[in-house]
Amino acid sequence: MKNNIRVERAIKNITQAELAELIGVSRQTINTIESNRYVPSTVLALKIARVFGKPVEDIFSLDEED
Amino acid sequence: MKSHFLFPHWFRYLGLALFLIHIPIVMFKKEMGFSMHEEPVSDDLFNSHHIFFMTTTLLMAIGLFFIAFAKERIEDEQIFKLRLDSLQWAIYVNYILLVVSLILSKDTEHILFLNLLVPLVFFIVRFRWKIFQNNRLINKEEGQA
Repeated sequence: MKNNIRVERAIKNITQAELAELIGVSRQTINTIESNRYVPSTVLALKIARVFGKPVEDIFSLDEED
Repeated sequence: MKSHFLFPHWFRYLGLALFLIHIPIVMFKKEMGFSMHEEPVSDDLFNSHHIFFMTTTLLMAIGLFFIAFAKERIEDEQIFKLRLDSLQWAIYVNYILLVVSLILSKDTEHILFLNLLVPLVFFIVRFRWKIFQNNRLINKEEGQA
């Protein structure tokens, strides 16, 4: 699964740590999601989308391998 | 996220203390030269040798157990997955070692002891290593930024 959290963060001008605090996870978790090493649960994906005020599909998309 | 059956974070330090306490006790006994073969071992279940073995082993096992299953400072779903992955690896390694040692050795007492130690130690090492790797990647990114 691909995501553009890094871009959305840049638009909203927040750091990984700030995003992590907003959704109640560790900074490491945000980092692993951004670098595609961890696929978040639906709950977490929805929380991330809510922070950016966009639908989940705008932030996460399927990879060819999925 | 709800964490399932984990001890509070400070149990990690309690576990570490218990584990560290057991090392000098065992070393002291070895230094003093008490050997199980020197003194006549009574058949009574609660002879001094058995009580000593039981206490030190329990100290070690409970210590490791607390270290392994104490909550992280931020216990989220990614940590939960790391925990589960590491647990799976630990079980694999334990059973491979168990099968190999059952084939190659008849020393059941030591096999049992190994079986007590390996899953917890392997789990802790693998879990900590993965967390260390995650932290290192973050620091690397910060260095680039």
